[in-house]
Amino acid sequence: MMSELQRSFAKAQLAKLPPEAPLIFDEREEDEEYADDTRNRSASDSSASSTGTIVPSPTKHLFERPKSSKPPPASRSSPLEWSEFFETELYLERQRAATKIIHHAYLSPPSSSGPLFVTHHGAGSSGLSFACFAAEILKAIPTAGVLSLDARGHGRTQVEKPKAEDDDQTETIDLSLETLSSDLAGVVQATQRRMSWSALPDIVLIGHSLGGAVVVDLADKGLLGSTVLGYAVLDVVEGSAMEALAHMETYLSSRPSSFPSLASAIEWHTRSRTIRNSFSARVSVPSLLLPVTTEPNPSSSHPQNTATKTTTSYTWRTPLPPTQPYWPTWFEKLSSKFLASRGAKLLLLAGTDRLDKDLMIGQMQGKYQLHVFPDAGHFLHEDQPAKVAAVVAEFWRRNDRAALVLPPKVGDGLKGGGKGEG
Amino acid sequence: MSDLDKAIAQLRACRPIPESQVRELCYKARELLIEEGNVVSVDAPVTICGDIHGQFHDLMELFRVGGDVPDTNYLFMGDFVDRGFYSLESFLLLLCLKVRYPDRITLIRGNHESRQITTVYGFYDECIRKYGSANVWRYCCEVFDYLALGALILGATTDLAPTSSISLEESTQSTLPADDDDIESEVLDSQGRVQCKTIRTPPLRDPPTNSTSNGHISPAPDRDALSPPAERPPSSSLPNASSPTLGSTPQPSTSQQSSSSFPIHPPSSTGSILCVHGGLSPLIDTVDKIRLLDRKQEVPHEGAMCDLLWSDPDDIEGWGLSPRGAGYLFGSDIVTHFNRKNDLSLIARAHQLVMEGYKEMFERQIVTVWSAPNYCYRCGNVAAILEIGEDGANGGVVGRSNGDVGRRYGLGEEQVPHSSLPPPGRRYRVFEAAPQDSRGMPAKKPVAEYFL
Repeated sequence: MMSELQRSFAKAQLAKLPPEAPLIFDEREEDEEYADDTRNRSASDSSASSTGTIVPSPTKHLFERPKSSKPPPASRSSPLEWSEFFETELYLERQRAATKIIHHAYLSPPSSSGPLFVTHHGAGSSGLSFACFAAEILKAIPTAGVLSLDARGHGRTQVEKPKAEDDDQTETIDLSLETLSSDLAGVVQATQRRMSWSALPDIVLIGHSLGGAVVVDLADKGLLGSTVLGYAVLDVVEGSAMEALAHMETYLSSRPSSFPSLASAIEWHTRSRTIRNSFSARVSVPSLLLPVTTEPNPSSSHPQNTATKTTTSYTWRTPLPPTQPYWPTWFEKLSSKFLASRGAKLLLLAGTDRLDKDLMIGQMQGKYQLHVFPDAGHFLHEDQPAKVAAVVAEFWRRNDRAALVLPPKVGDGLKGGGKGEG
Repeated sequence: MSDLDKAIAQLRACRPIPESQVRELCYKARELLIEEGNVVSVDAPVTICGDIHGQFHDLMELFRVGGDVPDTNYLFMGDFVDRGFYSLESFLLLLCLKVRYPDRITLIRGNHESRQITTVYGFYDECIRKYGSANVWRYCCEVFDYLALGALILGATTDLAPTSSISLEESTQSTLPADDDDIESEVLDSQGRVQCKTIRTPPLRDPPTNSTSNGHISPAPDRDALSPPAERPPSSSLPNASSPTLGSTPQPSTSQQSSSSFPIHPPSSTGSILCVHGGLSPLIDTVDKIRLLDRKQEVPHEGAMCDLLWSDPDDIEGWGLSPRGAGYLFGSDIVTHFNRKNDLSLIARAHQLVMEGYKEMFERQIVTVWSAPNYCYRCGNVAAILEIGEDGANGGVVGRSNGDVGRRYGLGEEQVPHSSLPPPGRRYRVFEAAPQDSRGMPAKKPVAEYFL
């Protein structure tokens, strides 16, 4: 009953959004692109008036622009480069059974003593989903590093099979949880070799959605041993994820299948409030899409139209519907593994707390740290990168082995009865 | 009927009172609470309760099982609000009762009695939903700042007050290895039937004798489930020197009663019981140090006040990092030392969900009491309250140990005794969630649109 309502509501909302969002810009807004929060609000308001569905979020903090000293781009929907957020990118070749895989990852290496935050994005997303977060965490902990990979089938990671029997389009990629967590561990180790680190730094694993399941699986299997200080899971809970899976097809089918430009794709993500921080959308969304060159009328062949009117559109790089068989397997036993694995545990949720029974009991028994971001959407690390980074930084500081000083144990008082007190 | 009694009646029916009344109530409550120290002294007999979390109907069940206010003297250890659907009614009812019967109910602060936590875990939203503004939430938060941080129960007895389940005594006395004086603790179900008894073992010595309690499961007697225990007259064969309020019978413990039984019973005094929501703090080694804190503020992110509301006991040695992100873990050595140093026989605390409703740890030196059955309507746990009897052995004069360090040793250097005080007699009443209809429950939370 409720879910029916929600679905129709969601549909109605999405239906009102033009799949190819018209680019309406207020000149005044562009001038003040990075000025202050009021600009952000006025931008939201103007969006609201143009579609009638967007709720401005006055609590949203304006994301401060890291690093770049360039003048702001002409459009608030224009793509941003990864290089503004990470120091380097890596292509790491790994052979796994008959499959050669070239992993692509973004890296800002830690300084000698700093921790490494290893991030894994959710299904259909990419390593750049953590770009803004990475910039913020480095502000919070200057010695830290961030390694953000593109999972197989996502971003610029390439999977090559020896026998290419099928087209790339129809080939289904192995997205089993086991494969993904071993990929993640493999990428960390390959990064260590590439960067010639004598030892791995202390690692905090951070996973969003599917990525949360991946990092918990990695921690559960102990693939990186005791270098893993702790793990943070972003907005995924077994119970509610399993419930939501039933509605996922409807959601996916309501997304536009392609966009005429990267800017329009960025617009769609911010206007549908999938990503509520346009600055983050500008860096993360382009990596979700593949340019496709199409002829004006692909169905019917009219030779007179060729060459002159070829257009480029952008489709989803990772088609999600074929991955459906994997969905339940990603989240199965997530709660029990989250609670049982070694290391400090942090759960970050968007909106309201959606804890299932296991996690509710675990939380009220004090087994992990929970933080809820009421004003954020599912992509909370994109919506509120600074706030998420602040919580993650604090989580690391508390659990940093090097800095850990516990209060003294009960000393002589207990054994000697009164000597050496004070 | 006074306005306050009207408000109590309305809240008992789970109906919110008007905003103007809330404001007035909160003002009066603050006037009352400001007079309380950080550590409130409470005389036994008293019934100790743990987390409530807005589970109003279960709070009503708690009163049914434990007796009503003011007949029963209650101590609630915080976390009245959040997560449940009736935080508002639950907290306001407790507050009304506090204002109406200040000496019969004690409220101390839990980590959820905080602005920051309530904005995330439901109480704020509930206030907005029920009043259309944040005013009531704001009034309540101002009260939170004045709640005491702990309580010290004085005049507790090692004896277990007579249970009202006479049929049990009759049917099982022959099978019990010892007479009633040796019962240290027992567990009753919500109908007052004895589920289990523990025989007192010799007091803890140093080094601790690893004496685990002899849990003795008694067969549940056939009783009319509907007749409240209070209707049963106390058996003359049972000692009634210490008469904590059992069931719903107000039994004022007169010195007459006490003195009549004085010769029969050996001294049964025990140390004080410290009640606090979370646990100990590395910054607090004496109860007096709690008294020195400036409590009238939002719960800080760290420091002694934070620790008292956030820490958990754990099977470790010394102090440990709390996985919660606030407070500490503390081991049995910490508790032993603290209790001996402060003449405490027990620490009672809440804060952690325990599926059985209560959990004793570290040789009965600390107990967790949890009073929210089927927590958050999904956890499947039972709840418990803990009744502590009154030591009537010395004619109703309470031998006070008020937590002052070394008082037993007079002036001079600070000493920590070598042995622990015997734990007080403890009666747990375990109860399950009250049946409730779904009226007034907010719609189920929407599922996320996108979850991959």
